[in-house]
Amino acid sequence: MSLLGLDGVFVSFGGVAAVRGVSMQVEEGEIRGLIGPNGAGKTSLINSITGIVRPDGGVIAFADQKITALAPNIIAARGIGRTFQHVELFREATVLDNVLAGLYRHHVYGIAAAIAGWGRARRVEREARGEAHSLLEAFDLAPLALVPVGDLPFGIQKRIDLARALAVQPRLLLLDEPISGMSETEADAAVGMLRDLAERRRITLLVVEHNMRVMMRLASRITVMHQGEILAEGAPADIRNNRAVVEAYLGEDDEHA
Amino acid sequence: MTWRIGLQLALSGLSVGSIYAIIALALAIPYKASRVLNFAQGELVTLGAYIGLVLTSYGLPYAAMVPATLLIAAVFGLLIERLFIRPIIGAPEFTLVIATFAIGLIIRALIRIHWQDNNFFLPAPYAGPALAIGPLRVNPSYLVMIGTTAALVCLLALFFQRTKLGKAMRAAAVNQTGARLIGIRVGTVFGSAWALAAALGALAGLLLAPVVGINPELGHLVVKALVAAVIGGFGSLGGAVFGGLMLGILETYAGALFGAALKEIIPFALLIAFLLVRPQGLWGTALVRV
Amino acid sequence: MRFHAALIAIPALLLLALPLLAGSYQIYLVELILINVVAAIGLNLLTGNCGQISLCHASLIAIGAYGTALLTTGWGVTYIVALPAGVLLTTLLGASLSYPARRLSGLYLALVTLGFLEVVSIAIEEFPNFTGGVRGLKLPPPELAGWPLKAAGLYYFVLGVTALAICAGWNIRRSRYGRAFNAVRQSVIVAQSLAISPGRTKLIAFCFAAAFAGLAGGLFTAVVGFIDPTEFDISASLRQITFIVVGGLGSVLGSIVGASILTLLPEALRGANEYSDVAYGAILLATLVLAPKGLVGLAGSLLSRVNGKGPVP
Repeated sequence: MSLLGLDGVFVSFGGVAAVRGVSMQVEEGEIRGLIGPNGAGKTSLINSITGIVRPDGGVIAFADQKITALAPNIIAARGIGRTFQHVELFREATVLDNVLAGLYRHHVYGIAAAIAGWGRARRVEREARGEAHSLLEAFDLAPLALVPVGDLPFGIQKRIDLARALAVQPRLLLLDEPISGMSETEADAAVGMLRDLAERRRITLLVVEHNMRVMMRLASRITVMHQGEILAEGAPADIRNNRAVVEAYLGEDDEHA
Repeated sequence: MTWRIGLQLALSGLSVGSIYAIIALALAIPYKASRVLNFAQGELVTLGAYIGLVLTSYGLPYAAMVPATLLIAAVFGLLIERLFIRPIIGAPEFTLVIATFAIGLIIRALIRIHWQDNNFFLPAPYAGPALAIGPLRVNPSYLVMIGTTAALVCLLALFFQRTKLGKAMRAAAVNQTGARLIGIRVGTVFGSAWALAAALGALAGLLLAPVVGINPELGHLVVKALVAAVIGGFGSLGGAVFGGLMLGILETYAGALFGAALKEIIPFALLIAFLLVRPQGLWGTALVRV
Repeated sequence: MRFHAALIAIPALLLLALPLLAGSYQIYLVELILINVVAAIGLNLLTGNCGQISLCHASLIAIGAYGTALLTTGWGVTYIVALPAGVLLTTLLGASLSYPARRLSGLYLALVTLGFLEVVSIAIEEFPNFTGGVRGLKLPPPELAGWPLKAAGLYYFVLGVTALAICAGWNIRRSRYGRAFNAVRQSVIVAQSLAISPGRTKLIAFCFAAAFAGLAGGLFTAVVGFIDPTEFDISASLRQITFIVVGGLGSVLGSIVGASILTLLPEALRGANEYSDVAYGAILLATLVLAPKGLVGLAGSLLSRVNGKGPVP
């Protein structure tokens, strides 16, 4: 039984079909790659899974429950997290505050408790801060806890984005171009960290990434999209040798394949 | 309700609607051009009326006073845009909204400091007793309001279709970057839009003055014009005119049929209804879902 | 840490000792400041933290005032019960505002709140039996369990309630709800990805703003003894906004600082409304253009430059 199932998903904008009848299954524990040339429909697909965009047709199911067209925050509460291609951190807040924001879902207390500031609220806040600190530790961000994120380099911001997404304790994590903008060394380290993450925390990953080299090393299975449809799906080695995939990318600047 | 009374009310509704329409246009034009909604527009109406008052007190005859007032108001509009709006053009919406409110507050307070809350009278050569046109009794001021608005709409249509500046304003409204790329001086467009809006506001003020007098609260009916602009859709000039006229007529009929209290509520009931169901108005462009 | 303690302790001591140090007029002024502080804290949570524009804060204060007043005069409810009841009433009405806020933002929200302001003004005029219409409503001094609240007694009551409000505001801002407010303000999409419901968060923010406003209104009836409906128009709402813009958006300290300094402005100008309106408008405009982070923000940058660190959040 797959964790995420898409069945005939259609997404279009103003008459242009971005996603045309995509069906795919992601098993729990996988690291699934989603690649394709620009305009293939990857982002629209991701957006329809997370609920930002409403599919015009098809069904999306997560953990055996339909999530098609649910509100994005409900989908997130069900256990789907995401990181953002352009990071989208809260720029003026500190690293700690960014990660704390992610703990909203699982560290809960009522409004009355919040106003009073003692009792349950205090206890849960302490737990939350503890959790936040351990997340920061896990990502080597602890010394930067009180620094406003706006000043930090892009690579570090990506780590913060990831830490924040993990704070929601997702079962499935969608990563939108997590490696883009990183140097080779940073990219290698990131790949190692992501694999580690998936294994130790038992999170299923769905990674959208342009960088083929990284994708080959990271993913256990790859889905290729082209012009809104699925072109191929399989193990990295198979995909690499797939003629149709290579041709689809031939029109692209293709330095990593 | 006899058809005679019905017609009478329609006329009355159209005339107040015309004023709403003019002010709604004054709101829509700078919004289209610079994406700023000028919450001080009401004060520009008041300011126009007082400028007219001052010029008249200096002995300027009516025919000269009107264009002079519009010109001076236009200069004010330009100054406001250059000095206060230009520096904050990219700021978050909160800043833009509150800044224009602050400008309005300052203008109104300065007016009150100089003239207190007195109500002044501005005589107009066309104002007088009701004319008898067929079975109707028509206040000549109403006819002037309606006629002026009709003429204004035609002039503005010509301006935006035929003149270089008008076409530049339309281009900049659709795509600022694109307009810049083809050589349109966006700064000039912004300034002109605000100057035009201030002049329109002054026109509304001058039309109102013979009917309700001049006092610092004159501009309060910008709230009604805002409702009209919402109904028509921000960014649609035709919509602004339609919204204003429709609001004027609805209000007047509601008042006659259901009493004064309902008359007051109608604009806000419409506002809430539109904002909930169709915030982009009848002709505005669709909003991105929040 | 010592510095912070002194910063709080000194004004606190002064406030506690005020009835011994000052005359009844100065006490009245301080009571007005405290009322504005309460209202400003609520507005700052809504606008500064949650990013929702509200032009009708003054109307909410008016509703709190009228609500409390009508319960005490019309229904004979004792003040200590009427006050929270007024807060509840205002909160319910404020909650209804959040309904359009769910789908609208920025400009359109501003218009809805403006519409609300107008409707409240009309309602006040159209029901003079309840509200005294444009003439206003005169009120007898409040009672606390049979004892009349006036002079020093009233002052300490207002001071105590304000202190509680400040604590509440601070706790809320530091809680998960405060974090949700800030998240929704900065990016609705990111907030949603963190399982934060923007609609529910805005509802909570509006309720808080209304509750604080209702409380301020209830205190107002006790302190001033007379409700003049013209005092709760758009200028009044702008004044509330000026407090938090000048003090610092999103900061409880900012609300306190802004309300404290600017409440005294009309007194300092010793003149009619018009002069203080010009001053408010000019200060508001100048702050928006030149120092959008407000006084707290300026102090923060100054401090960090002195300390040699980066900007303080």
